[in-house]
Amino acid sequence: MLWRMAWRNLWRHRARTLTMLSAVALSYALMLLAFGINDDGHARMLREAATAAGGDVLVHGQDYWATRASDIVVHDADAAAAIIGRVEGVRAAVPRVIVNGLASTATDNRPVLLQGVRPELEAELRDIAEDLTAGTFLTGSERSPIVLGSRLVARLEAELGARIVLTGTTPDGEVTRALFHLMGILETGTREIDEVAAYTTLEAAQRAFGMAGAVTQIGVVAEPGIEAEELAARVRGALAAAGADRELEVLSWREAVPEMVALIEIDDALGYIFLAVIYAIVLFSITNTFLMAVKERVRELGLLGALGMPGRRIGRLLLHETVLLTALAMAVGLAIGYTGHRIVASVGINVASMGIEEMEMSGVDFGKMVMYSTIVPARWIVGSIIIAVATVASAVYPAWRAARLEPAEAMRFYE
Amino acid sequence: MSETRTGPAFEGAATTTAARPLIRVRGVTRVYDQEGVPVHALRGVDLDVEEGEFTSLAGPSGCGKTTLLNIIGALDRPTAGTVEVAGHDLLRLGKGEAAAFRLDNVGFIFQAYNLVPVLTAYENAEFTLLLRGVPAAERRRIVVPLLERLGLADLMDRRPHQLSGGQQQRVAIARALATGPRIVLADEPTANLDSASSEALLDHMLELNRDLGTTFLFSSHDDDVLSRVRRIVYMRDGRVEREEHAVAVT
Repeated sequence: MLWRMAWRNLWRHRARTLTMLSAVALSYALMLLAFGINDDGHARMLREAATAAGGDVLVHGQDYWATRASDIVVHDADAAAAIIGRVEGVRAAVPRVIVNGLASTATDNRPVLLQGVRPELEAELRDIAEDLTAGTFLTGSERSPIVLGSRLVARLEAELGARIVLTGTTPDGEVTRALFHLMGILETGTREIDEVAAYTTLEAAQRAFGMAGAVTQIGVVAEPGIEAEELAARVRGALAAAGADRELEVLSWREAVPEMVALIEIDDALGYIFLAVIYAIVLFSITNTFLMAVKERVRELGLLGALGMPGRRIGRLLLHETVLLTALAMAVGLAIGYTGHRIVASVGINVASMGIEEMEMSGVDFGKMVMYSTIVPARWIVGSIIIAVATVASAVYPAWRAARLEPAEAMRFYE
Repeated sequence: MSETRTGPAFEGAATTTAARPLIRVRGVTRVYDQEGVPVHALRGVDLDVEEGEFTSLAGPSGCGKTTLLNIIGALDRPTAGTVEVAGHDLLRLGKGEAAAFRLDNVGFIFQAYNLVPVLTAYENAEFTLLLRGVPAAERRRIVVPLLERLGLADLMDRRPHQLSGGQQQRVAIARALATGPRIVLADEPTANLDSASSEALLDHMLELNRDLGTTFLFSSHDDDVLSRVRRIVYMRDGRVEREEHAVAVT
């Protein structure tokens, strides 16, 4: 009976009910879509940050990440890579030599971040050759090839085949110079990267900077579904078992680029605050509307009490109305939110179109990001439960007022 | 003070037989606090109503008729005095117990706003049975004959706004009688009706009083109504002023 009465009561003021329903439905749909876009955007940022950091897990000589000192290296790189490669969940162990140096041509000198890499292993993480605009990416027979960022090439006024002299410091602390030949030009689209990026082969870098057998970093690429923290713990365990743990530091990418993690947390928190403010306004309007309904129907509610309907049942009548309103609104909101999700998931939102053209953080170029939408079921379910409980709770006070009405007083209300 | 009058209308009224009054009101006062000012609605009312009576409270507006009916129906509590209805001491009842008492013992007919607007005539009539948890088939068995008897057989699916005032009051009678209460309290039941509808409504109530033995206690200042009741209790300024008893003509 309560459900039947509640349903009919809901449609006594069609326009008012539709207004409340729309407010709940749209704010719920907005929340679902915001969850979808945020979750997808954050997942992309995390993947890009992990890629930019060099892997899901990074292995260096102890204290390298904090100091970036050239004398801190992984001495027996092949042995370390072999140990890491055997850890369950590791897809690839990618060795790198990283040198902060100076690139010189006859025209100019510019600071560079040189990375000596094995292209076939780097491809497990990211295909750097995708950014090539000219030449090749370390695939020819040249013994000392170098590939530079486009802006760096412009500053140095170099052309393909040009001689580039790199000056850097060896692990022994000696400043050394090495000759390379420009074989390729990269354009990532990120100014900061294109101004300093320099790649050569791992062997050429080791040879040039006195690092035979040693590397600066081993980037560890995880198998899909393996969390970086979990993998880092496994790698630490494997290195400890081999007695190499005192010389090496193992960082998950989250530890390596905490600023990106903080950015995502802040973004999440701001998103929640935004949604909470919007929804609080909706809830207050629902509470107000139901209080008005109690006042409008005070005589009728008094009649129910006079006929012997217990106060708590009268209160429950209002709660039933809210439950029906909430269920309807959430069904509509789910349909709108899911449709929005499907559209954004297929079309995407170009971040650059929102005026963010040049923003880079932890190697993530936001200007190049296209955001899609991803459903994380747990977030949608928890969010939906919160909306449902909060909406129904917004009618608790009006229901309590209705339950406490004295029939005789209520029926005198309009006399 | 008690007077006697005669008239043909009392032919149908049930005979009073109970030794102990169904309603026993003693020294009841009711004082309302109206923005700090005490308003005396009742000032020491004594009243007995026997089982099967067809009685009306009469008097000018504000004399305390509705307040007394509300107190007898456990909708309101007296400031002082005692009220005993159908063996229940109403002052001892809590809010929930009062609701249960009303559901089990009293049928109400109000002047207006009598029906739940979102329910049909049938649903309104069965409402009190629903509250008592009576199964659907049993409700139908009770309510349909009642509505038919009240001339509402073809109007059961109509909502209150689709019924005339008289039809609405007849639905209220059906609802009041559906649970088989010992007493029906009717506050100005004909106040919003034309004379023909009032007449018809009274006919129905008299018939039910006669056939079912249900006690009816009204409030009214409509002379047509008062001319057809068996006993009139006149009130003024919150007190019982006098009573009139009719003698049935056979």
